[in-house]
Amino acid sequence: MSAVLQNLVNQPYKHGFVTDIESDIAPKGLNEDIIRLISTKKSEPEWLLEFRLNAYHQWLKMKEPEWPNVKYPKIDFQAISYYAAPKPKKKLSSMDEVDPELLRTFEKLGVPMNERAALAGVAVDVIFDSVSVATTYKQKLAEVGIIFCSISEAVHAHPHLVKQYLGTVVPVGDNYYAALNSAVFTDGTFCFIPKGVKCPMDLSTYFRINTEESGQFERTLIVAEEGASVSYLEGCTAPKFDTNQLHAAVVELIALDNADIKYSTVQNWYAGDENGIGGIYNFVTKRGLAKGVNSRISWTQVETGSAITWKYPSCILQGDNSVGEFYSVAVTNNYQQADTGTKMIHIGKNTRSTIVSKGISAGHSNNSYRGLVRIAPTATGARNYSQCDSMLIGDQCSANTFPYIQVRNQAAKVEHEASTSKIGEDQLFYFAQRGIGNEEAVSMIINGFCKDVFQQLPMEFAVEATKLLGFKLEGSVG
Amino acid sequence: MSMSMVTGNSYLESLLQGQPQLPPSPLAWFNRLRASAVDRAGMLKVPTTRDEEWRFTDISPLAKLSFHPVRTVPSLQKEDIARFYVEGTSATLVFVDGIYMPELSVQSNRTADLIVTNLSAALATHAHAMEPHLGRHAAFQDNLFAALNTAFLHDGALIIAPRNTAIERPVHVLFIATQAESTSHPRCLLIAEPGSAVTVVEDYVTLQEGPYITNAVTEIAIGDNAQVSHTRLQRDSGQAFHMANSAVSLARASRYRSISVAFGARISRYDLNARLAAEGAECSVDGLALINERQLADTHTCIDHASPDGTSRQLHKCIIDGAAHGVFNGKIIVRPGAQRTDSSQSSRNLLLSARAHIDTKPQLEIFADDVKCAHGATVGQLDNEELFYLKSRGLSEVAARNLLTYAFGAEIIDRIPIASLKRRLEQTVLEQTQRN
Repeated sequence: MSAVLQNLVNQPYKHGFVTDIESDIAPKGLNEDIIRLISTKKSEPEWLLEFRLNAYHQWLKMKEPEWPNVKYPKIDFQAISYYAAPKPKKKLSSMDEVDPELLRTFEKLGVPMNERAALAGVAVDVIFDSVSVATTYKQKLAEVGIIFCSISEAVHAHPHLVKQYLGTVVPVGDNYYAALNSAVFTDGTFCFIPKGVKCPMDLSTYFRINTEESGQFERTLIVAEEGASVSYLEGCTAPKFDTNQLHAAVVELIALDNADIKYSTVQNWYAGDENGIGGIYNFVTKRGLAKGVNSRISWTQVETGSAITWKYPSCILQGDNSVGEFYSVAVTNNYQQADTGTKMIHIGKNTRSTIVSKGISAGHSNNSYRGLVRIAPTATGARNYSQCDSMLIGDQCSANTFPYIQVRNQAAKVEHEASTSKIGEDQLFYFAQRGIGNEEAVSMIINGFCKDVFQQLPMEFAVEATKLLGFKLEGSVG
Repeated sequence: MSMSMVTGNSYLESLLQGQPQLPPSPLAWFNRLRASAVDRAGMLKVPTTRDEEWRFTDISPLAKLSFHPVRTVPSLQKEDIARFYVEGTSATLVFVDGIYMPELSVQSNRTADLIVTNLSAALATHAHAMEPHLGRHAAFQDNLFAALNTAFLHDGALIIAPRNTAIERPVHVLFIATQAESTSHPRCLLIAEPGSAVTVVEDYVTLQEGPYITNAVTEIAIGDNAQVSHTRLQRDSGQAFHMANSAVSLARASRYRSISVAFGARISRYDLNARLAAEGAECSVDGLALINERQLADTHTCIDHASPDGTSRQLHKCIIDGAAHGVFNGKIIVRPGAQRTDSSQSSRNLLLSARAHIDTKPQLEIFADDVKCAHGATVGQLDNEELFYLKSRGLSEVAARNLLTYAFGAEIIDRIPIASLKRRLEQTVLEQTQRN
């Protein structure tokens, strides 16, 4: 049963190309001057520079974490350029004025943003390298009072909001990469849903790393006020390069009383070639704070790309009756490594959390689920259910599970289940009997395996995710 | 200067000072083994909660106390320890503060070929059989407590079950602690030759309630088609520190059944490593920790499927009352090539009080695709509906709670293959649960 899956998995990366736009790149290396340069370039207020410098000083004292179950050569943080922006051009008043080179890139990606935005009703805040170049639907969102813009814009337009929430969920000294991000982040997304507003459409941002050797440090901050709700989509593709690129993003979500934030990700960055050369290092800190009563934070992720993925979208369930959810599909192939999972920190009473994690490993890859469920002494009546299933394709890959369960309250109920399986000869035979070829059978089995997670994705993402998994695993079963 | 550095080195130095007093053995390999363990122990640090393997178990109180090696032991009569004997054994070996007591041991019922003896005596007669196993299974490169035990290795229990023989009656190895502020390093070596079957009870008890350290190492080598049933009871004093390592090696189509029960000790840590070294091996590893007050019971197991067609089953339970703290870390490794492995693991935990807490981590590391592995973990309290059911049948709230708690623990006790011991432990569980 190998030829078919082998072909299925080994499709070349479809989004590997470099757009040729003159970049404004800072000299390599990291020091206080570089941070001041970034801050000056973006004409930031004094408090933000202090925020950055504080993070930088904490970062200097920290050690690179070594506990994840991933192996990679040491990163030389002085060999990275920390700022790259497309050359400032005259202000654009419509899509027609956008660099045609840029537009072609989106077309190649299959995201003709003007059409896509109109057809799908999605506002796309396009991040190209580190500076937003075009934002759509802002008008429509502004009508209901939603702020959806790049974070550098928000720093100028809504400084009080950014200052109030930035770094409150992921403190500057939280971990090595969060500190690095806090020191040098160049752009990202800011989203604010005011009291009682249900966001009329799914918000979405396309990230794209473009300049070779420029690590990208995105910063996302989403705040949902009392009774507000929003669904946010993040999708990623990156061009093909041979040098490893570092991506250390920070995402912070804050949900006040009765608010609801749903955050979905499809990550398909360049994973390196079939020999494990190149690919993105994806070291991300994502955390949501369910601050208010009855608030809800839901993470859904489909991780298919990156040479190394190291991320744990987490929920701090502080408000009473708050709910945290984590749905994840992580696919690794060739020499990819993924150490991903979630943390559910139950603090409030009657808080509930659900974890569904599906890991698929193929080739020589290494796929780990690492999760933490912590029930604090205050979390009376807390409830957690976790399920993590692994599927192995081939005998050269590995699947690991590291679930930490820490319970400090007797009136809590925690359940954890995990299983491992493979695509069996008998299953393929069953399909063959009914006239369904191996390739299609594998795709159906995998879709069935991941169904619980795909159901959580917004419609257009679910379609993309299904396709993505199909071609990620092309050729690895058979 | 960090706490661990200060306590780490001076503590180890004072511990290791007792070592040179051990007389050298005429066996070169034995001296070499001890010397390399001394070297290793000198290099290792006392683990702190900053070490992943010790993250939830803070043993700093251990290093704060001074513990002297045992020089003399009180004279005991069989009557003094009558309550610890198990009836119907084929042999009982008794160690007091780690020192072998032939006059307290019972050898009378022994089957002819079964070898049950103390290690230092056996070095003269069975050195050849011991050499490939002693210190070869319990790795001490990164394990301070195994290194210390090996550094102080001079006596212990040796059991050799002869080839193609089933030993019907169990062998009982009894370790009795009698002195406060003492350190003992009990050691067991069990060799089950191909085709043999044997049942062993490893039993730690105390005659006093003061603090002391027990640092035990048990090595079990199971030959082709052999079967070993290993019951381990830890009933140390509530002030004691119990550190233990067991290493089991399973040959082709062999079977290992382990039941470990922990009631005692202020802080206890049990590491069990079972390696399914050849194909078709089978093991079941069950455990129960029943703790109260400020006790801490930590169980770390590692079931290592290194060959194809292995089977493993594990059920670990903790009943935690008072401000006690339970820790469970169960690792299952399926090595590359260990195809058709079938493994399941379950960690069940019952919290009985508001201050009780548990850290559990069932862990899978899988490097082969044709395998069936599952694990589960639950943490909870007594079920209200079950309580209601019992109350509706006339049981008081307290009686209903006790009955359910007892039933939760009895599932493990029930698996002990020796009826008299089982009854006695069931009684202990009942008393423990009714205390409140």
